[in-house]
Amino acid sequence: MPTPSWLYYLFGVLMLAIAAYCLTLLVLGFVTNRPAGRDVEISHMFMGVAMAGMFVDRWAFGRSAVWEIIFGALLVWFVVQSIQSIRFYGIHLPHALIHAVMNFAMLLMYWFPMGASGSRSMSMSASTGPKLDPGVSFLLAFVLLTSAVFTLASPNKGWSHFGGHAPAWAVASTAGAESGHGAGGQSPALSLEGVVATPWLVDLSHVVMCIGMGFMLLLMT
Amino acid sequence: MTATDVKEATVPAPTRALATDDRVADRPPRDLQRTFQLVLATVWLLDAVLQLQPFMFTRGSNGFSGMLNGFASGNPGWIDRSIGWNASVVYHQPILTNASFAGIQFLIAFGIIYRRTVKPALALSVVWALGVWWFGEGLGGIFQGGATPFGGGPGGVLFYALLAVLLWPGGNSDRPFVAARTVGVRAAKVIWVVVWGVLAVLSLVGSGRSPQALQGLVAGLNSGQPGWLARIDRGSEALLLHHGTMLAILLAVVCVAVALGVFAPPQVAQATLVMAIVVFALIWVAVQNFGGILAGSATDPNSGLPVFLLALVYWPLTDGGARSGARASGPSTAAAGV
Repeated sequence: MPTPSWLYYLFGVLMLAIAAYCLTLLVLGFVTNRPAGRDVEISHMFMGVAMAGMFVDRWAFGRSAVWEIIFGALLVWFVVQSIQSIRFYGIHLPHALIHAVMNFAMLLMYWFPMGASGSRSMSMSASTGPKLDPGVSFLLAFVLLTSAVFTLASPNKGWSHFGGHAPAWAVASTAGAESGHGAGGQSPALSLEGVVATPWLVDLSHVVMCIGMGFMLLLMT
Repeated sequence: MTATDVKEATVPAPTRALATDDRVADRPPRDLQRTFQLVLATVWLLDAVLQLQPFMFTRGSNGFSGMLNGFASGNPGWIDRSIGWNASVVYHQPILTNASFAGIQFLIAFGIIYRRTVKPALALSVVWALGVWWFGEGLGGIFQGGATPFGGGPGGVLFYALLAVLLWPGGNSDRPFVAARTVGVRAAKVIWVVVWGVLAVLSLVGSGRSPQALQGLVAGLNSGQPGWLARIDRGSEALLLHHGTMLAILLAVVCVAVALGVFAPPQVAQATLVMAIVVFALIWVAVQNFGGILAGSATDPNSGLPVFLLALVYWPLTDGGARSGARASGPSTAAAGV
């Protein structure tokens, strides 16, 4: 009986779509001089490409060490952001923390490639090295799925991406109100960004990434 | 100047950030019923993702259809045949059926998340949970005499259905606990007593108090578990083999105490709920092995997570703010907004 390779291709395509979407956001962010969310866009872009390579082995490229450096650096960045946010605003859950968790999960996936129990159609299945403790995989997967659910349900649309620094047009979009900085009253780039980076869409990219990564982590158990 | 200051200072005026912060203080008060609905949605989402594991799409004794067939034996003939029929359908169309099953669970999870669809999603979850209980869990082993709460009896998925009813949206928000909001205080207490009464009975009947059967429960699950859990399993196997009957009686006593706790003053009720959570956490880890998730052979986390959630929806809300949906003194829901 063949393993459901179509499922991995589906997840792989979704991951690449998120990477492409975040690259678009990043470019638009530079054009419109919007600094908020760039770190998340960079993080999701790399995650999307790396995860696609994990789901479909033919799409994997680059040495593991390079990916580990990238996700290690992003992990440090988001941990520092979280600590600074807590120091500045007191005890709370900073939005950077979930991105730190996601980058930590990526690092673990490279440090402990999937064992032989995984599907043959996944690039990490060939490894015979040490295996990640399934308890850690499950815990991380549960955290990511929880993040997916609460992000979708959150009244603060776009928070998963921008945190407390959502651009004015995103706030206006969330409130359903007309904004002077909305898609209709600005430069073409800003108008385009208003369409591409709508809060529900950036949240959706985070949710799909969380589910894809959660699925991968559960496959590692 | 902190990094956040720097970040805000560099934001140009036209695309200025909210210019506030990540603080939770400005957010609206949390509705505990809604929060618990979302926790239930998370569990359904976990189940949906588990349904996508490769072995679920395969035939044979190690596949999904083989797993379903395993629940048929020991049941009355007509139940046996109905489970066998379902397993046969899954055997012949493993990819289509399993993808559909996963899709339905995704639908339930996402349906609960959106306020507009929460009622249909909860209704679907009741129907689906009862279907899974019948065809996927063999009615929890009740007719086989092996529905002990140690093993998740009378069926972890039954708790999903129960939670869907207790978390049905609406109701009066000034009730003493969340479960009473929709069904009312009296009905909620009756449900609670019945649930824990059934758990107490199931602890003592059939093979529930047989040391060998209880030891066999753990032995049947421990293959493929990580080292630390296998070591816990060895301890719990020995404990159940030597003191299984006494532990079953003890569990029944705990269940009765928890059942009666709902009539006690809030502090006592909270203590019994903590006891229920601790006891079922121990069972979930040391006997149920997290439902087998860590061995990569599970379709759900068994009764652990739903029982914890059930206990939380009966948590006494001691201050008025909590009853009206503000931050409660009871269960923390810090995951919100992650």
